[in-house]
Amino acid sequence: MPGIGVPTLEASLPPIVKRNYGKWITHEHVRPGVIKHDSETGEACYTVRVGMPPNARVSTGTVRMFCDLSDEFSEGYFRITQRNSIEFVGVPPARIDELIAVLAKAGYPVGGTNRSLHNTTCCTGYLHCHLAASDPAAIMKSLSDMLIEDYKTERFPAKLKISGSGCINNCGEGSCADIGIVAIHRDLPPIHEEKLKGCELPLVISVCPTGAIKPKGPNMIEIDPKRCIHCPACSVACAAMAPIGSANGDGVAIVVGGKAANTGDGPAMAKVVVPYLPNNPPRWPEVTDVVKKIIDAWVAGARKDERVGEWINRIGWPKFYQRTGLPLSFKVMDGYDARALELAKTGVRFQW
Amino acid sequence: MEKVKLCCAKCGFTIEEYTADELATVPRKAKRYKYLLNKSSICPSCLASGRLKESRSTGEAVAAPAPQVGAKSSTTAPVAHEEHAAAATPMMDALAKGPWPSHTAELKKTRYPVQMYEEALQKRTTQWGYGGYVSLPGVATGVLVRASARPEITKGSNFVRIMDPCGNFFKADAMRGLCDIADKYAYGLLHLLSTGGDLEMLGIPTENLKPAVEEITKLGFDVGSTGDDYRTSEECIGPAKCDLTLYDTLGFRYAWYQRFLDDVQYPRFPHKIKCKFAGCPNDCVRGGQKADIFVCGVFRDLPKIDQAKVASWVKGGGDITLICTRCPGGSLQWDAKKGLSIDGDSCMRCMYCINKISGMRPGDDRGVAILVGGKMRGKYGPMLAKVLVPFIKAVPPDYKEVFDFIERLTEVYDEHARKKERLGDFLLRIGINEFFQLVGVEPSPLLFAQPRTNLFYHWEPSEIRDERQK
Repeated sequence: MPGIGVPTLEASLPPIVKRNYGKWITHEHVRPGVIKHDSETGEACYTVRVGMPPNARVSTGTVRMFCDLSDEFSEGYFRITQRNSIEFVGVPPARIDELIAVLAKAGYPVGGTNRSLHNTTCCTGYLHCHLAASDPAAIMKSLSDMLIEDYKTERFPAKLKISGSGCINNCGEGSCADIGIVAIHRDLPPIHEEKLKGCELPLVISVCPTGAIKPKGPNMIEIDPKRCIHCPACSVACAAMAPIGSANGDGVAIVVGGKAANTGDGPAMAKVVVPYLPNNPPRWPEVTDVVKKIIDAWVAGARKDERVGEWINRIGWPKFYQRTGLPLSFKVMDGYDARALELAKTGVRFQW
Repeated sequence: MEKVKLCCAKCGFTIEEYTADELATVPRKAKRYKYLLNKSSICPSCLASGRLKESRSTGEAVAAPAPQVGAKSSTTAPVAHEEHAAAATPMMDALAKGPWPSHTAELKKTRYPVQMYEEALQKRTTQWGYGGYVSLPGVATGVLVRASARPEITKGSNFVRIMDPCGNFFKADAMRGLCDIADKYAYGLLHLLSTGGDLEMLGIPTENLKPAVEEITKLGFDVGSTGDDYRTSEECIGPAKCDLTLYDTLGFRYAWYQRFLDDVQYPRFPHKIKCKFAGCPNDCVRGGQKADIFVCGVFRDLPKIDQAKVASWVKGGGDITLICTRCPGGSLQWDAKKGLSIDGDSCMRCMYCINKISGMRPGDDRGVAILVGGKMRGKYGPMLAKVLVPFIKAVPPDYKEVFDFIERLTEVYDEHARKKERLGDFLLRIGINEFFQLVGVEPSPLLFAQPRTNLFYHWEPSEIRDERQK
């Protein structure tokens, strides 16, 4: 029964980590996908990083394959990183090539370290979610297919992280990433009167960030279409207002420049550059096209160690739109509260 | 002894059970009871949503528990899964092509109802229906139900969230055990890992939820991370495999679970609270963006320079000019004769030079900073976390000072925030200076980016007095 908490460190750490816990002194990117850590005990630890299917959805058969590989190559342990890559920790240096060959045969690329495309992350989307406005897993698959060589090599100015979220709940962390795909709804939420009985109406009214939902009599609500910003907050709080969305209403927005590290210009949330693109399964060509334009302009224009957001901060938004050739609309500086005014430009320091 | 049960109003399924004594003496249980009574819940048995019904009985305390869903099937063979007819899946086949590993190819190896995904792609809308978090008797968190909008394909799909071990290292044998459970009870599909850091097992029929959870806990893993509680905390790899970490993130997370496990597994807060622990300002867990409570390793003295090592790194082709130009404070100066020097006034301790130059190490005066209010959505959209405490010592093994502070701030949140209001939205509503005072932190110039420009400010009459003598 629950109540036992997480496993102890003793039970979950591999032997090479236990021997050198807290004793690491340097690390080095040996080649794309392979990192070497040196310990003060004199031991060196080689890590091999492997790309995963979008959304990190794997069948038990595949997981068992990873288990077998870790038995053979990394003392029976493997690790899952923050961006859902699999890492084999403590691979003997002489056997790295062999491991990479075995993985390549099974269709799994090795890379995603240092100045390369890192493994994409995304939410479940159509696979298992009732709020999804798009399928980020399919979009990530298309983008990863397009950029797989950039995953295996280190040709970028800095690291590039791409994430996708299926709605603006942002479970897939689109707004964290250098380039984020965040799906949006454009329809008003429905009101299924017969289900409203099971809802807490005061909660439904209070979760609306713009106050668009108002009471209409004792047991009914109404939506002000002028104020609705199509966030799924009410659909989450109340079953009578789900599902929100339709085939032509839903689509994706592209955001750029998110970053967590305090280096460079510091942490930042990604900014909206393309407010809407249609859903076009299975490959979303409009989305991959925009992402390719942004990456090409960044690779051509950025200095070394400049993440996408820092590159834009240096050259300015006018040059960004000029270099990428993206269409511009007032929607990118639209806002629903007082903060919208903060987006407007002050001063005349234009970067013509 | 009087017993208090919270049941589904429609089918009478018992969600939770207390004794009257417990409610009177254990504040945590009383809070939890009040929380459950005041919210609309989903019944795991009949999937009806609405308020729970309270029923009191004066049976003996040792009376046998009422028969529960799941209890009957725990000794029998696994319940058969719905059979899914093999139909054409052109969209999924298109996504199975290409050099990158494909999720649709993985889905097809499992019992996942692929038509749900295929038709969603074809119709460009999701085919799943409303879902949510449910509690089972003894399993307050960790179980989710998801209804289907296409009952002819599948009736629905529940899943459990398994909390990941510290460092996310998985022993192959333990992982094989999880695979066995997924094969036996679920679709045979794992999510390694969700963005919140949990391992998810998809597609467990309702009657099998309890036996599946029982088997998972027998393996040494625990379930949790749903509802208005502490979600699974995430930590960076820290001392296990990183040379830059400023405190023991793995030990810290383990100690955090030891102290706060109750609040992880019994929802009672106004909304979810996500905690993330990063070892250094590089913030590999993206806590500054995602976490309501973000504990980040920091150091106060200057980075340490091993001049000989730096010189040999430069000799070996290290681009020292680039690092000096890109230093955000402009604090680094390189002189071929004198070596590397740092301007202590402008250094931001951002880790950039330490990341890039071999021979530089973080300083020794180490501790943690606590930031609050980061989130990806909530009411007012994405927000970065704000500094609440710039520096506090993290002392193992129990990290009492840090955890006491976290507890204090969650109590303030619990007390003052509205229902379904994330910590960041709460800060926006009441104002961060009000929050500083409620939590009781000292004013510090490290807490703000810049002072305000307008002079409108509210003064209490009690603050107005003759201050000339001071």
